[in-house]
Amino acid sequence: MNKLMLTLLIGLSLSGSAFAGDLVKMKGKTEGRTNHEFIYEDGCQSCHQGSGKKNATDSACVECHGDINSIEIDESKLAIEEANPHKSFHYNQGASCLACHGEHEKKAPVCAECHRTWFDVM
Amino acid sequence: MQDRRSFLKLGAGAALGGLASTMPGTVMASECGEIKWNESADVIVVGSGFAGLSAALNAKRSGVGSVLVLEKMQVFGGNSAINGGWLAIPKNPTQLAQGVNDDSPEELVKDQIISGRGMQNEAMLRQIANRALDAYDLCIETGVKFRKDFNIQVGGHNKARAIRTQHGTGGDITTKLYEAGVKEGIDYRLQHYIEDFIMDGQEIIGLKVRQNYRFPDLKTGKSIYIKANKAVVLANGGFARNMELRAAVDPSLDPTLDGTNALGATGEVTLTAMAHGALPVHMNLIQTGHWGSPDEGGFGWSNALLSIGWHEGISVSVLNGKRYMNERADRKTCSEAIMKNRYQDGSPAYPVVFFNHKDHPDDDRVVRALRDDMAWKVDSFEQLAEKFNIPLAQLKQTVKEFNAQVSTRQDPLFGRKMDTAVELKPPFVVSRIWPKVHYCMGGLKTDIGARVIDGRSMKPIKKLYAIGEATGGVHGEARLSSTSCLECLTMGIVVSETIKSDVQA
Repeated sequence: MNKLMLTLLIGLSLSGSAFAGDLVKMKGKTEGRTNHEFIYEDGCQSCHQGSGKKNATDSACVECHGDINSIEIDESKLAIEEANPHKSFHYNQGASCLACHGEHEKKAPVCAECHRTWFDVM
Repeated sequence: MQDRRSFLKLGAGAALGGLASTMPGTVMASECGEIKWNESADVIVVGSGFAGLSAALNAKRSGVGSVLVLEKMQVFGGNSAINGGWLAIPKNPTQLAQGVNDDSPEELVKDQIISGRGMQNEAMLRQIANRALDAYDLCIETGVKFRKDFNIQVGGHNKARAIRTQHGTGGDITTKLYEAGVKEGIDYRLQHYIEDFIMDGQEIIGLKVRQNYRFPDLKTGKSIYIKANKAVVLANGGFARNMELRAAVDPSLDPTLDGTNALGATGEVTLTAMAHGALPVHMNLIQTGHWGSPDEGGFGWSNALLSIGWHEGISVSVLNGKRYMNERADRKTCSEAIMKNRYQDGSPAYPVVFFNHKDHPDDDRVVRALRDDMAWKVDSFEQLAEKFNIPLAQLKQTVKEFNAQVSTRQDPLFGRKMDTAVELKPPFVVSRIWPKVHYCMGGLKTDIGARVIDGRSMKPIKKLYAIGEATGGVHGEARLSSTSCLECLTMGIVVSETIKSDVQA
């Protein structure tokens, strides 16, 4: 994991003008997040064991980023104070990262199904 | 014999699938070919709403062994996580502190019999009501917080007995039940979609599951086989989001009707159970609410906002600027009147409801609705007419007529009770309305202990149980508000007791 975090930092520094988390072309037609460049260089196995369609969970996300409650977000950008998606009244710890975040495409978070004005696609 | 044959085919399919990571628990059922089980659990719970989470926690605590919860979505909690957090508990401490001493489980059952219109399962309702305090205790003990001193009378109940969670959502309950279960060693899995049941005649022995599934794409994930040693509990909820099934069982449900439910309420596990002989009942009894808004998802703020609008405001058709119904009539009457508002191509011409802003500027029901753009403040008739494309002259005329009726307290047009009506003057709070599908009264028939009944033998299917909205026939024609959460939590307790006694038998 330490090695991963180190490559993560290097990856960030190499991203140049793009912001961490921006969606850019990574491999052929596949898009990915700029802060994940190192994963694509590793051949995608960090997230997909074998086929991408068959295997996609958030275990690799959690391994680097930590669990949902521990990941801080910019609370000044929340629509209302209670609408913190990493400490949600509806799901709290019981949400997969994938419910809101897409690695290869922009995605509306699960919250936006009801709270249509609170969150943008990411 | 049919069952044996299909079992054989499944076994062969599994072998051809080349599942390398077989568990030691591989079984050989005589004459049935070999199922290579990838894993096994003593109790498998399908679904993670109030019912599934309660069943899992209570089963684990009863000591029957390992418990595995399978949820197909990417969040735990099902529709319960986005519900309103209302819970009917006769004799709850807040109710008693308020001096309401004449309530009892039987009083609740009396209300539910009226609402069920003869179609309800009285014995089941009585069992649930009698265990209400157990459900309440389960909440308190797992850390659920309810609103302090809050206990009110809600629609169709003859007593104030509905309490509400701290943040007004069932998520306050599902998160606590889930987190308690994690601590107590329950194995919870997201993205596990049930593809089929593995049967041995009249007994369920396991599940074919699509692991790492990403809703709604059935091409994602891969099939695995999970053996169920002692029980499979179906707590998969209703099917209000399954448009084809909805239309098949109730053709009168308009396809333009959105639903209040989470997107995962599609009912395929109920259909799978039916395919293996489980008896469905009351599938066409689907509850809609006329209080929906097309400008928000889920249950939303609309119902609370309209609790002002139905009384103090009016509903106007955007087609002609006129009132078209008694705004205080019952759910069904209003739904039908609202849905008559159509453009020529049949698409919905969402009617508006509006009332005076100055009477409720700081009311939370108004503030949050305006904040989240599901209602708007308009300063004049002109602005209202322009925003929603309503004929201006008729709109003004309609309000003028209504205001005259407010002073006489008579509504000759629609016979509305006018005691709460208020003279209308801009600025207004205005929102759009259209009914939403809310709850499925129908589902799988079970016995009182939650055992799923096979329609051919009218006997329980061994080791197969169902609880919550996945079951049918409990509430009859119409479920009362705040009673589903009660049913789900309570039946989670009951089913764990049934499993324990079946295992010992």
